Amino acid sequence: MIDPLAASTRLASAGMEAQSLRLRIAAENVANAQSVGDAPGADPYSRKTVSFRAAMDRAAGGTSVRLQKIGTDDAPFRIERDPGNPAADADGNVKLPNVNVLMEMADIREANRSFEANVQVIKQARAMVASVIDLLRS
Amino acid sequence: MIEALTSLAAFDRAAGITRTESAAPLARTSFPVMPAASTAAAGPDFGDVMAQLASGLRTSLRTGEATAISGIQGKATTQQVVEAVMDAEQSLQTAIAVRDKVVAAYLELSRMPI
Repeated sequence: MIDPLAASTRLASAGMEAQSLRLRIAAENVANAQSVGDAPGADPYSRKTVSFRAAMDRAAGGTSVRLQKIGTDDAPFRIERDPGNPAADADGNVKLPNVNVLMEMADIREANRSFEANVQVIKQARAMVASVIDLLRS
Repeated sequence: MIEALTSLAAFDRAAGITRTESAAPLARTSFPVMPAASTAAAGPDFGDVMAQLASGLRTSLRTGEATAISGIQGKATTQQVVEAVMDAEQSLQTAIAVRDKVVAAYLELSRMPI
């Protein structure tokens, strides 16, 4: 049986990885917020979404978090008139990604908060282990 | 108690250090230890526990070092490096605490008036 304190460190570490992935997806979305399609009238970058699921981690003896799916948002694209753009269609309209930077920022902030929460779990687990080891010292 | 101290040689065993027989601090045969006390105890032997601890320490120190190197090379994430190093540090702390305790016990024995 694995030490519950070690297990919580492991689970929190999986949570940190999940939040890192979430940040990566948000970064992709923000970076591509203006990316148009590569042909006239083609669809631009579409926003990526990420979802997680609970998964049994046998080594930790608990429920860990795993990536469920990296999907794409099927919200409609923004359309702007910009005839000079190489991706403009015959009418001079350009499709722009369905990325809302404000929403991505909120998502990044949330990822950051969840990451910090997991870091706190690790800190607490370490503090508990350290206090147990300190029993030997006194 | 002496039994327990001699079984500390398990540290050497786990670390792969070849120890000369003359350097053995307390040979089991030189002390008439109560025969029942050493064999009657069920469960893992103290020496085995120490060996396990030592080999665990060795593994985690090596893992920490290897992960740190691969982190510098860009093959491991910061999180993995930090976790491996923290793991190694924790094992080291445990080993140091146990060693201090054992040394204290040994000194206690050596101060015993005969």
